Amino acid sequence: MSLNRDEFGFDAPVPLGHPIRSGLPDGQSTGPEIGDRLPDFVLPDASGTDIAFHADRGTAKAVLLFYRSAVW
Amino acid sequence: MLAAFTEKQRIPFPLLSDIDSEVIRRYGILNTQIKPDDGFFYGIPFPGAYVTDGDGRVIAKFFHDTYKIRDSAELLIDAALGRVTLAEGAPKAASPDGDVKVSAVLHGGQGTLRQGIRRSVVVRFELGDGLHIYGEPVPGGMVATTVAVTGPPGLVVEQAILPPTKPLVLAGMDVTLQVWSGTVDIVVPIYPTSELASEVRPLDSNNATIEVAVRYQACDSDACLLPQSARFALTVPIDVTEVPAIDVHMGHGQREGAYDGNPHFKRLIARKSKKLEDWMKTDG
Repeated sequence: MSLNRDEFGFDAPVPLGHPIRSGLPDGQSTGPEIGDRLPDFVLPDASGTDIAFHADRGTAKAVLLFYRSAVW
Repeated sequence: MLAAFTEKQRIPFPLLSDIDSEVIRRYGILNTQIKPDDGFFYGIPFPGAYVTDGDGRVIAKFFHDTYKIRDSAELLIDAALGRVTLAEGAPKAASPDGDVKVSAVLHGGQGTLRQGIRRSVVVRFELGDGLHIYGEPVPGGMVATTVAVTGPPGLVVEQAILPPTKPLVLAGMDVTLQVWSGTVDIVVPIYPTSELASEVRPLDSNNATIEVAVRYQACDSDACLLPQSARFALTVPIDVTEVPAIDVHMGHGQREGAYDGNPHFKRLIARKSKKLEDWMKTDG
């Protein structure tokens, strides 16, 4: 298993060097910075209903989380 | 299939579908290390989270060099609320010391450790009225507050996150001290790498012992108590990873998803392959 372990110390059931195991390259931006207003967007939820981010949020604080897959 | 995932995983917040990665691109977080013809996974983001205030402005961000590190929900919530909220049943060791109570808590995820999940050791001071402890820089002879966390091999311990101090100028002294008073939380993020908990094999050990060494000196406006050292040991359960029930993840001793993910996976691959074909025809 240690043959499959990456430089950060993590294993995966996929060979090292596979693009699916890629992480943030040096100097890569991670989008909006502290102080920036998050860009608005409209996307459907799990029931197919369109959600407009800032409108849906109203005046509440929010956590917006980007993940890789709900399938794999 | 987000509906199946939402229902089976009992997720109480909206999951949104960014089918063509349009929002991912607009946010500038498309994983560009992956090329379109690398496969079905083209279009995924660099994973992470933004926490906003009531105006939708970013107050905290959580992104890491590797996609294997994910932040415990508690860290996101603490960032949103601007304070640490400790759970009642969290693994805790405390030294009740009259005017100064010190405790160490494993914060997040019901007190378990899982591969790559970033939780924290929180050292909480509860100082009696009038008492303060010191941040750097301290004048000679005074003891600044320090926290050192150590764990087994494979546990990564990050630098302690200290809350802002308040300046204190004592009458007759020409120096400004940096102090904390009241309830003071020092947060030390930690996460296991695969050496301690791996998603490709059953656990070697079911527990980890985390040692916390604290040093501080409490004073009021007149006098100082002697510097103190406190040591705590937290023994916390190590848990396996939650993996979707698709062939590539199964049989490694992890906690496999409640529903067969293979049909969803096959449909995803088919849909993405078709999209890639279309894309290649139009783009040339």
